[in-house]
Amino acid sequence: MRTLVEVVARRGPGGHTVLPVVRAGGQYAVRRTGPATLHLVATAFGPLGGDEVAVRLVVEEGARLCVRSVAAAVALPSRGAARPSVQRIEATVAGVLDLAPEPTVVAARTRHVAELEAELGPDGVLTAADQVLLGRRGEEPGRWTGTTRVVRGGRPLLHTTVDLGPGAPAWLPPVGPRAYASTVHVGSDDRPVATGADAVRLPLPGGWTATAWGAELHRVTGALATLTAPERETA
Amino acid sequence: MTAALLTLADSRLPAGGHTHSGGVEQAIAAGVVHDPATLSAFLRRRLHTSGAVAAGLAAAACGADPTTLVRLDQEADARTPSPALRAASRQQGRGLVRVGRRAWPSPAWDDLPERPHHALALGVAAHAGGLLPRDAAAAAAYLSVSGPATAAQRLLAMDPLAVAALTARLAAEIDAVAAVDGVPAAADPLLDLLAEVHAARKDRFFAS
Repeated sequence: MRTLVEVVARRGPGGHTVLPVVRAGGQYAVRRTGPATLHLVATAFGPLGGDEVAVRLVVEEGARLCVRSVAAAVALPSRGAARPSVQRIEATVAGVLDLAPEPTVVAARTRHVAELEAELGPDGVLTAADQVLLGRRGEEPGRWTGTTRVVRGGRPLLHTTVDLGPGAPAWLPPVGPRAYASTVHVGSDDRPVATGADAVRLPLPGGWTATAWGAELHRVTGALATLTAPERETA
Repeated sequence: MTAALLTLADSRLPAGGHTHSGGVEQAIAAGVVHDPATLSAFLRRRLHTSGAVAAGLAAAACGADPTTLVRLDQEADARTPSPALRAASRQQGRGLVRVGRRAWPSPAWDDLPERPHHALALGVAAHAGGLLPRDAAAAAAYLSVSGPATAAQRLLAMDPLAVAALTARLAAEIDAVAAVDGVPAAADPLLDLLAEVHAARKDRFFAS
């Protein structure tokens, strides 16, 4: 199945965000759930191997957009030829984009590819979160390959591909985690390096990228939250 | 041409690589590496992540013009968000430029940005030595495991024969990584974490 989601967020009268373009088809419907918040609603099971999802987001200057999903996505294998399911998000951000879907669970014998390419304007602010669990309870892990590329003013700020699960060449014992979570933020929140047990935050120009991994997703997201929580003002 | 490649990948080339463990020192401290089997796994994950990125960058930098080299340096930064790993790469880049200028004089050295990433310096060294992009990639891929292997051998007082054997057994994977197209972005957050914890230590033997 091919799915295309297109959203344009624009600064409207009084500074409120309006959404002149909201298009969705295939396996997603889009519901506006707040002044600047959209939820992606899965209308079909999956994604299944071979499914392709393209999400195009444009956040114009002065506009805000939050993108969420209503439930975890469970990536399932294709019948026959082992094809991956692919989700590709392209974002052009002159305003503020906050992207935080529910976790992706990659079932056994499944390959899921997730790509985010974000082009930021000079004042663009991006927060993008990924949560991944390899395998449902009691089954073998699937394989997840996630690429994030963030560019501002033509200059690449972050470009990483993390490949997890059986067959991924760098997913090796003793560190081959089933759960993984990562958040990247670029805007005006400079933060230094921070390390935890199986968690690390690294600085980016005007932001940071934080990653945590482990056996259980709830522990991993907890470890990530300690690195990404807003810093308390110190008197 | 082969002799230039052998020289470039030789650990005796005084480019300063011997002061870096490629993350192995911290991997040992964290208990991730403790015997030949765990060392082999560590080398493989390094080869397929930072090794693959370095191979792609080195090949792209071999024969590149100054504008492309600046762009590649930015791409290297984007693929190396860890400040400790960036510093280690630029330190080794500087060391290689110093010896490379003497070993293979060429105007190409002046095209490099200030304090280039190691992979870019490797690409330019290969070009200056009359080698091809695929040679630069081969040197980068090989160096991504040979340095850490030697460091592990020293730190764990491992049997040199065992370490030589497990490195030699990676040959097919090293060749495959060196043959990759484009500049991969393969990342390993574990290596980032180890590098940052290591950089904060006062009692380390290796610079990285």
